[in-house]
Amino acid sequence: MMKQRSLWTLFVVLLIASLLMGACAKATPTPTPIPPTPTPKPPTPTPKPPTPTPIPPTPTPQPPAAKLVIWADENRAPIMEEIAKAFTEKYGVEVEVQQVGFGDIRDQFKVAAPAGEGPDIIIGAHDWLGELVVNGLLAPVDLGAKKDKFLPSALQAFTYNSQLYGMPYLTENVAFFYNPDLVPEAPKTWSEVTKIAAELEKAGKVKQGYVLHQGDPYHFYPIMTAFGGYVFGKDKDGNYNPKDLGIDSPGSIAAAKWLDMMVKEGHLKPDVDWDTAHTMFEQGDAAMIITGPWALKRIRESGVHYKIAEIPDETADGHPFSGVHGFMISAFSENKLLAQTFLTEFVATEENMWKLFNADPRPSAFLPVREKIDDPDIAAFGLAGKNADPMPAIPEMSKVWEAWGNAITLIFQQQEDPETAFKNAAEQIRQAIAGGQ
Amino acid sequence: MQQGTRPHRGFTYSLSAILFRLLGLAVIDAFAVWLLPQIIHDRVWYLVVLLVIITLGINLIFLREEYYPLRWMSPGLALMILMVVYPLLFTVYTAFTNYSDGHLLTKQQVIQVLGQQLYLPEGGESYKWTAYRSEDGQYALWLVSPEGKTFVAYPGRPVQPAVPGQGDIGPADDQGTPTHIGALQRLDRIRVIRYLPDLEKLEFGTPPQVLKIRSLDEAAALQPRYVYDPQQDAIVDRKTGKVYRADDRRGSFVAPDGEELTPGYQVFIGVANFRRLFRSPALRGPFLRVFLWTILFAAGTVFTTFALGLFLALVYNDPHIRGRKIIRSLLIVPYTVPSFISILVWRGLMNPHIGVINTTLEKLIGWAPPWFSSPTWAKIGVLLVNLWLGYPYMMLISTGALQAIPDDLYEAAEIDGAGLWQRFRQITLPLLLISVGPLLISSFAFNFNNWNVIYLFNRGGPPMPGTPTPVGHTDILVTYTYRLAFASGGGGDYGYASAITIIIFLIVATITYFQFRYTRMWEEISENV
Repeated sequence: MMKQRSLWTLFVVLLIASLLMGACAKATPTPTPIPPTPTPKPPTPTPKPPTPTPIPPTPTPQPPAAKLVIWADENRAPIMEEIAKAFTEKYGVEVEVQQVGFGDIRDQFKVAAPAGEGPDIIIGAHDWLGELVVNGLLAPVDLGAKKDKFLPSALQAFTYNSQLYGMPYLTENVAFFYNPDLVPEAPKTWSEVTKIAAELEKAGKVKQGYVLHQGDPYHFYPIMTAFGGYVFGKDKDGNYNPKDLGIDSPGSIAAAKWLDMMVKEGHLKPDVDWDTAHTMFEQGDAAMIITGPWALKRIRESGVHYKIAEIPDETADGHPFSGVHGFMISAFSENKLLAQTFLTEFVATEENMWKLFNADPRPSAFLPVREKIDDPDIAAFGLAGKNADPMPAIPEMSKVWEAWGNAITLIFQQQEDPETAFKNAAEQIRQAIAGGQ
Repeated sequence: MQQGTRPHRGFTYSLSAILFRLLGLAVIDAFAVWLLPQIIHDRVWYLVVLLVIITLGINLIFLREEYYPLRWMSPGLALMILMVVYPLLFTVYTAFTNYSDGHLLTKQQVIQVLGQQLYLPEGGESYKWTAYRSEDGQYALWLVSPEGKTFVAYPGRPVQPAVPGQGDIGPADDQGTPTHIGALQRLDRIRVIRYLPDLEKLEFGTPPQVLKIRSLDEAAALQPRYVYDPQQDAIVDRKTGKVYRADDRRGSFVAPDGEELTPGYQVFIGVANFRRLFRSPALRGPFLRVFLWTILFAAGTVFTTFALGLFLALVYNDPHIRGRKIIRSLLIVPYTVPSFISILVWRGLMNPHIGVINTTLEKLIGWAPPWFSSPTWAKIGVLLVNLWLGYPYMMLISTGALQAIPDDLYEAAEIDGAGLWQRFRQITLPLLLISVGPLLISSFAFNFNNWNVIYLFNRGGPPMPGTPTPVGHTDILVTYTYRLAFASGGGGDYGYASAITIIIFLIVATITYFQFRYTRMWEEISENV
């Protein structure tokens, strides 16, 4: 009897725990009407007589109970915790850093913020802006006098509908890597890349002269721009125009045809994934590759000789997408001004921006740091990204990736001719954008 | 079924048992009472109702003797309501709303979010400020206008011109800023930041001149830009004078010229999601191919896994095989490894450039299957991986069911001169299917929606050329849904996804229903019970 009872209590505990979780989390996309709860703060009725001392004691007896909560990923959480601790020591305001996976921050923020349980600040990528702003989750940021200290293109990336929604802190983009033992000088055009690849392969020095993994639009974009292609056209203010899709523009199709030629002549092979492509470059089986700062560590560790150059051109200037990471403030934060002050007064200082840079070395968006980076590789990435287009943050971009990537895969696998593949992808994207309204 | 005698009749509880039961109930009730105000505060009414029903139900069941049998079912029932019924109902509800990106918030939340946007009207005043605070948390601002005029401002009192050293204003320091105002002490930069959470919520002055702190340097007569007018059910943009009327069918505030305010809000949109699905080019184009492959995939998986599982079960059911227990245990290992790990491992093994399977095959016979680029081989690859994942389960249930077949049947068959194959066809299979049949059907239903293996193996690829929406050759309905509703992981269209889910559910339910009917398994089972 007792045994069954305890079994039963276990069940009840489980049941209640699940109830509790349901109550606390509300994490399921619940349509709970949470009306503005203006928690009526009682007028602090401390009937203390005004002390005549001109300077009150610094450790005030009742510090405000306000607290900032920051969501950062595992790479940045430790360094943010250090910065937060220094802030708390100096100003007496508690800052809590919660570690959330980079890939989860956006989705969890979308659910937690409207439920009133989200953070005040998130660290994320600028291309989340569209989705978050459309859902009304971000508060505008005013950098005040600090504005001039940031890379203008990074600020532009965090601008949506002419409103600044974040404080950028790093930029990242891909660049052209080549092995100087095999390729003495960086090629200036993609035709040269073809020529060098053909020669190296003929001489048996490499398996593949230039290596590109299959079906990845992000790494194909620099080639597309070199042939004059584009994804979304821009209006006169530099905003992306979702009605002007360039996947089937003549330049994009020219790039697709170049890719088709490379596959047909055996210079590019299907079914190569990101990891294989990098391993080939690191082992000297490939001489040229486009990759980003995230691969720098493994390439350095492999001991292969490499140099970083700008993206080759062809009929136009070849340039990559740029991603900008930065701090964003929740529209549901109770302490927006405090959050903004924390960012502009404390994080946007040389000392803390260097800390962030050292924890994750990518070109800083904070000019006093960016200009002093002495790592030649990071500087080279900065150079390769000088004309980069910010990755479109408009929500329509989410309809682009899959169709575009499929078209590239179909060319790699020789299932469809390049023109049809890209025209069909553009058609799919236009349909998806039209249907999404 | 026989009516069993109820065990509790005539059973008297000991005092300690009754006390224990009451104590347990008291703990549960206390917990519920503690939880209730919190949920009420969060206004999650459906949870309030659920909690009250469950708590009352538990009390009733444990206090009234006639509900004794329910005591053992109640935890399961409660969990089923929470974990199964509620999500189901919620999915159905969501399918009839426009819940998606751009429409995540409720109307009140949208009004609240928009109401927080402030702007400085044309000609509005803006000042540099210095904050003062008393020990008991009263605040005042010392304001300097761009022309150099100075003022003092308290919350709820009109803004007054003031000069340092006059009245209760303290003497000026070398910057011209008073050191204190009455009993309020000046806050330096560090202390200003500490008290910012208070300061940023305060409004200084009285209407029409209300000042708010905009940044560390500036306080200004900020006005809310978007004001909700309940009479016209519209939001007025005070900066431009535009009126955005609430369109409750679209879930947006819309201006006469068609401009919509973002964000929109969630509304009930009836069958619009279903209409959109049936009009979508996704249904016209590759849907039939996806649907046929889904059935082929689910049926193929059940057939191959059951065939292999049964074969192994039969082989290792033979007591003459030595070490069969160990081998049987080892064969179950694929079942114990989480499927997402196995799938990724297989993905690596089948990699055409570095995978062990492909490099070995290429060395041996000079050719290896293009698992990831050929539509046919991709399908075979997925089935092979799923065979690896699924056969141990089939082996387990077959082994169990084989024990239930009486040995004398085989002996009789042997005497009648039946061969091995005949014995298998006439005795083993029919008797096995009685107990295993329903499990095969549930396995079919499970694999019909086996998102993991498809997505992790090849993301539904390779892509089909020339389709109106992106789709791959190995996409099954559920991964296709995922592509439609959450294109590339950017943006979620939950209402639409729920609508598609309901349609898929109806398809699976129909198939399962007919399977149960036409295989006559139910009848056979009911005969045996």
